[in-house]
Amino acid sequence: MAIAEQPVEMAQRPAEMKSAKPGIDWRGRLLDRAPFLVACLMLALIVAIYGSLQSGVFSLDELNLDTAAALTLMLAATGQTIVLVRGGIDLSIGGMISLGTVIAATRFTDDPSTTALWALAILALGFLIGALNGLLISLLKLQPFLVTLATWSILNGVAMIILPTDGGSVPGWWVSFGYAQLFGLTSPVWMLLALLLFWWWFRATLVGITIQATGSNEKSAFLSGVSITRVNVITYGLSGLFAAGAALFLTTQTGAGSPTIGKDYILPSVAAAVIGGVSLFGGRGHLAGTLIGAFVLTLIGNLVFVLHVSSYWQPVASGVILLLSVLASSVAEKAARGRVQ
Amino acid sequence: MDLVTVNGLSKRYGGIVALSEATFSARAGEVHALLGENGAGKSTFIQILSGAVQHDGGSILVDGQDYRPANPDAAQVRGIAAVFQELSLIPDLSVEQNIWFRHEPRTLLRTVNRAEMRRKTLALLEKYNFPVLRPDQELRRLTLAERQIVEIAKGLAKDPRILILDEATSALPAREAEWLLKLTRQLAAEGRLVIFISHRMAEVRAIADRLTIFRNGSTIAVHEANAVSDNEIVTQMIGRHLDRLYPERIATATDRIALSVKNFSSGSRLSGVDFALREGEVLGVGGLQGHGQRELFQALFGASKASGTIELWGKPVSIANPRQALIGKDGIALVPEDRRGQGLLLTKSVRENLTLSVIRRFTENGLLSRQKEAALVKEMVDFLRIKAGTPEQLAGTLSGGNQQKVIFGKMLLTQARVLLLYDPTRGVDVGTKGEIFQLMRDLAAKGYAILFHSSDMPELVHVADRVLVMRNGGVAATLEGDRISEAGILRAAMLESEAA
Repeated sequence: MAIAEQPVEMAQRPAEMKSAKPGIDWRGRLLDRAPFLVACLMLALIVAIYGSLQSGVFSLDELNLDTAAALTLMLAATGQTIVLVRGGIDLSIGGMISLGTVIAATRFTDDPSTTALWALAILALGFLIGALNGLLISLLKLQPFLVTLATWSILNGVAMIILPTDGGSVPGWWVSFGYAQLFGLTSPVWMLLALLLFWWWFRATLVGITIQATGSNEKSAFLSGVSITRVNVITYGLSGLFAAGAALFLTTQTGAGSPTIGKDYILPSVAAAVIGGVSLFGGRGHLAGTLIGAFVLTLIGNLVFVLHVSSYWQPVASGVILLLSVLASSVAEKAARGRVQ
Repeated sequence: MDLVTVNGLSKRYGGIVALSEATFSARAGEVHALLGENGAGKSTFIQILSGAVQHDGGSILVDGQDYRPANPDAAQVRGIAAVFQELSLIPDLSVEQNIWFRHEPRTLLRTVNRAEMRRKTLALLEKYNFPVLRPDQELRRLTLAERQIVEIAKGLAKDPRILILDEATSALPAREAEWLLKLTRQLAAEGRLVIFISHRMAEVRAIADRLTIFRNGSTIAVHEANAVSDNEIVTQMIGRHLDRLYPERIATATDRIALSVKNFSSGSRLSGVDFALREGEVLGVGGLQGHGQRELFQALFGASKASGTIELWGKPVSIANPRQALIGKDGIALVPEDRRGQGLLLTKSVRENLTLSVIRRFTENGLLSRQKEAALVKEMVDFLRIKAGTPEQLAGTLSGGNQQKVIFGKMLLTQARVLLLYDPTRGVDVGTKGEIFQLMRDLAAKGYAILFHSSDMPELVHVADRVLVMRNGGVAATLEGDRISEAGILRAAMLESEAA
C-alpha cells in the first residue's frame, strides 16, 4: 500500500499547554470539596454548642441515639442523593415511605417468615415504583419533578386506603432490630457505616459513574453510548428501594404505620444532600456530605430543645443553615471558575 | 479491498432530507477527507457511521459485512470511533475517567481499577505524544482546546480501526493543530482509516490521500488529493463558481475615530493595550492564540473587569457590563466565540433570537408590536440570507453558518456601529465564510467600525485593513498595507525585535 510506505514523521509533542502543570491540583481539589468542608464545620459547631450545654454528648449512647433519630432521613436522602447526582429529583419517596410503613403495620405478623417475605415485598415494590418513575420520565420525556409529584400523590392515596389513620403494629421482635447492639454500637450506627461502604463501592462502579456522568451532561453521556432510559430506571429504582428501606427502619422506631409520615422526609432529604454539597444540577456530590447534612438537620432539633426555646425555631434554623450551605458552594464555585475564566 | 463501502445512504428528519443516495468508500491506511458546506450532509453521515443516528435507506459495508449500529456502543464494537465536534465529554469526570468512560479497567469488586487506568492513560498519551494533560484534573477546569485534545484521546483509547475526526482542529491553537495533523498521518501509517473533516483547505491539502465531496446530501465527487485543484474542490462544494473567497478590499476608513482604547488592562492576560479603530475600518487582531485576544474582546464588551480608558465616537465611556456596552447607536456589539453557548438560545426561534435583546424597539405604549417585529425580522433574514424555513424555526436546527448569520442579525439589530467579531467564521462552511467577509466589507462601507479576530491567519491577511498583532497581553505590532502577511504576523507574534 503506497500510503503506508511513505516515511511518517512521528507526531511531535507540542509545547506544554498553559494550564496543564503536572502534579496535583490541591487548590482545585479544596475548592471542589468546599461545600462538604463547610458542612463538616457546621456539624462540628453544632456538636460543640450542644456538648457545652448538655452533659454526656460525647458518648457512644448519644451517638447511638442521634443516629437512630437520623437514620430514616439518611436512608431516604441516600436515594435522593443518587437521583440528584443524576440531575433529577424524587418527590415520590414521601409516598413510598408512607406506603411502606402502612403495609408493614398491617401485614407483619409474629411469624418471622411471613414478615420477612412482606419486608422483601416492600423493598421490591419500592424498586419497581421507582423504576416506573424512571421509565415514565424517559419514555414520556416528562420533568422528574412532575412525574414524582404525581406518583407521590398516588402512593399517598393508596397508603390512606390501606390504613386511613396512624396505627397498626409491627411485632416486638421486629422493633428490637432497631435497637440491637454489637460492640457497643446499635444497629443504626452499623447501618450508617454500611451506607458509607455501599457508596464507596457504588460510586466507583460502572453504574455509579454512568449515573454521575449522565447527570453531568446527558448529551455527552448519550454520545458515549449510555442508554439514558436504563440510567433513569436504575437511578429512580434505587431511590425507591432506599425509600422502602427507610420505611422499614422507621417502623422499628415507631412500631406502627402512618399514611402521612412520608412527607416529612421529602424536602429534608433534598436539604440534607444540598447542605452536604450535592449539586442540584447533577454530576456532583457524595453521600458522606449528605449524611453529615442529615446529622446537621437532626441535631438542630436537639439544640433547639436544650436551648429551651420554642420548637418552631427548628425550621428557622434549618432554613438558615440551608442558605449558608448554598452560599458556600456558590462562592466556591465562583472561585473555581475564576481560575479557568 | 475497501474497509468501508457506503451505497445509496439516505436519511430524513421529518420533511428535511439530510442525506440522499450518498456513496462513500475508503481503504485502511488512508486519510480520507470529507468536504462539503455546512448542511451538505457530512454531519449526518458521520453520525450514522458512529451510531448516533440510524439511516433510513441504503447500505453500509464494513469489511464486506453489513453494518448498521443501533448506538455508539455497537459502532465501537466494530472498531469505529468518532471525535465529535460537539464534544462527548463529561464535565464532572476527570481527564482519565473521560478517556476511558464505559471502558474502564475493573477490579474484582466491579469497580474502576484506578492504578491500571492511570497506567493506561499515561501509556496512551505517551504513545501518541499528546500535549501535556493532567490525568486527574476535572474536565470542567480545562480550556476548549484541552478538551478537544481529551476528546481525541478518548477516540484513540478504543483503538479503533476507523477514526472519524470532525473539525477536530478548529478548536486547537496552531501548534496543537499541527500535532494533530502529524498524528493523523501516524494513525494512517498504522493501517487505520482516518475520516477527516475540516473547513481548512490547507489542512486537507497537507494530510489527505483522497477526498470525497458532499453537497445537498449527496456525493458529488471523489478525488485523489494530489490530482485536484483548490478551485475545483470549492466549485464542487458550493455548486457554483466562487470567484474569490475574500471580497475586494476597498479602503473605506475615514479619519473619524470610532473606538479609542488607551492603557487597557484586564486580569493577568491583558496589559496596557492601546489602539484606535476608525469609522469604516476592519481592524484585525492576530497573534498566537492565548496572548490576550479573547480577554480584549471580553473586556471591551464589559463581560470581564478592566481598567484603562475607552472612548466611543470621541466620548469617554465606562463599560462595566454588556448592558452598558449595548447602548444603542453609540454602543458596542459582540459576536462571541462560543455561538452555541453564549450567542444563541438554541431552543428559541430565529425570530426570538434576533429580537430578544432589542425588544424595546418593537413596543408601542408598552405593548409588543408584532407587525413591527415581523417587518424587522424579515428585513434581517433577507439581508443576511438566513436559510430558515420560517422565522419560527428553532435556532438549534439551523446549520452552523446560518446560526452565525442569526447572531450577526441579532448584533446588527442592536444598532451598535462598533462591532467586535471574535472568530466569526469558526466551524462555518466556505460558502458562508465568503458571505460573512463580504458582509463585513459592506458594513464597513456603511460606516461601521469592526474589530475582527480570527484563528485562521489568512482571513486576517485578506480581510483586515490593518492588523494588531498581540503578544503577552499587549500590542506587539500594527501591520498595514503590504506588511500584512502571514509571515509578518508570525514574525511580530514570535520575535521580540519586531515591536512596532
